Amino acid sequence: MPTVAELTDLYGNFMLGPHPGPGVCEVCFTFTESHARCFICAQQNSSLDAVAPISYSIASGQLHHALAGYKRLGGEVARRLQVELAAVLWRFLVGHEACVARAAGTSAFDLVTTVPSGSRARDEDHPLRRIVSELARPTRTRYERLLTRSDVTVQDRTFDARKYDVVRALGGESVLLIDDTWTTGSGAQSAAAALRQAGAGPVAAVVIGRHVKRDWRENERRLRALAQPFDWSSCAWHGC
Amino acid sequence: MADRTEAAALVALLRSGRHSWSEYAAHVEEAGSAVAVFERERSAGPAQLFGDDGATSELDQIATEIDAWEAEGMRLQTVLDPGYPDNLRGVHDRPPFVFLAGALAPADARAIAVVGSRVASQHGVDAARAIAEHLVDCGYTVVSGLAAGIDHAAHTAALARGGRTLAVIGTGLRRSYPPQHADLQRRIASEGAVISQFWPDAPPSRRSFPMRNGVMSGLSLATVVVEASLTSGSRIQARLALEHGRPVFLLESVLEHEWARECAARPGARVIGSPDEITTIVERLTAPGALVA
Repeated sequence: MPTVAELTDLYGNFMLGPHPGPGVCEVCFTFTESHARCFICAQQNSSLDAVAPISYSIASGQLHHALAGYKRLGGEVARRLQVELAAVLWRFLVGHEACVARAAGTSAFDLVTTVPSGSRARDEDHPLRRIVSELARPTRTRYERLLTRSDVTVQDRTFDARKYDVVRALGGESVLLIDDTWTTGSGAQSAAAALRQAGAGPVAAVVIGRHVKRDWRENERRLRALAQPFDWSSCAWHGC
Repeated sequence: MADRTEAAALVALLRSGRHSWSEYAAHVEEAGSAVAVFERERSAGPAQLFGDDGATSELDQIATEIDAWEAEGMRLQTVLDPGYPDNLRGVHDRPPFVFLAGALAPADARAIAVVGSRVASQHGVDAARAIAEHLVDCGYTVVSGLAAGIDHAAHTAALARGGRTLAVIGTGLRRSYPPQHADLQRRIASEGAVISQFWPDAPPSRRSFPMRNGVMSGLSLATVVVEASLTSGSRIQARLALEHGRPVFLLESVLEHEWARECAARPGARVIGSPDEITTIVERLTAPGALVA
């Protein structure tokens, strides 16, 4: 059996961990020029009490390819990517779920769920649910499919709580939302807003990859400055 | 044949040079169709002036070329084809197509690359042979780059042991480099497969060899560096394999080089003393079944 440590060590060669600081968006950790929030996160109040990207995902890089391929490629190669990404999530949560919970104002998360796909058809059998509800030990016992894609038509990549239906009323439980990638955050933000309306307590999101483009403004320089190989003992919220 | 039209559309896109090859690999994979990407680009561009008939006859003409390549023993496999190597799909810098001489077997999913210097010592050649034999005995396919020295030793030992071997070459399939390995190239094509990510007539170049190291890594579950020099392609392949998230095994003798000592310190790289360490670790990493803490 592959061990979590062995599989994730390999990913450490291309993962890059975000850290808060000047020039980093306080919500989603993308690079900004000097503002506290990036352009998109400045548009509205965040519905999430904390967002923790495990790594930056550089456009066309290996993590980006894995995050697209685990759901697109099919066959043995997709199966292997699913196991590897589950190991990444597992190792991160063992080390840092407490950091994320603290940042979200709670001590631990009662429930874990996933952000549904933007398309209803794709959401029917989504491999992210397999990762969170079967493969990753830290999440599988608390996993519940709380959200489904509603039949409301909303524009792609826009924030809209009506995008998702919550399957049952909540009574103040804290919820950890998992998604593979944060690009604009519209999926995770819409999901968090829907959960709140249904009665959730604190809601935080852990995403595997914060999508960034290498050739955008100063990104190349900013990415170069990050620790390599990936430091599993630290996270975006470590020591906060 | 619909697949051939898809392949023809991919060739047309690559020849248009409008985007890089890696961008086309991603676009086509994302759309699930090269024809769709081709039509999108044609309807947006000035080529529209030629009308639909121009585009159709262009694809027909390329389809005829693809048939001729195939008749010559060079099978084009694009990222959309089920015959494109599965392991290679998993790496970010996969080429949009490969040409195959010979045939891939399902067992080639269990492939391990053995690479090293062109100017190898007897000790290095012996080590490469022993590793290739062990890999064959454990049911692995031996991948290498058809170069002199370590590559030659790995390919020939695998064949002599009755195993599968794949050669990933830095030229088009109509060429052989070095020329004296033309016979070995033919033999590998008849017993295993020769793989090229270049057009059939592409000459060897300074850029093509490191590119083929990336494909060698992508095809393989792991890369073993047997003996290497300061400037060797093995150094490039070790770096690319780690960037692919694939393990790298270094023989102790390689550690005389500073790059190899730095590589050995990376997560996922290991210095090994015997061939069975390679297979033990690769077996464990790729075993089906649940993850363990």
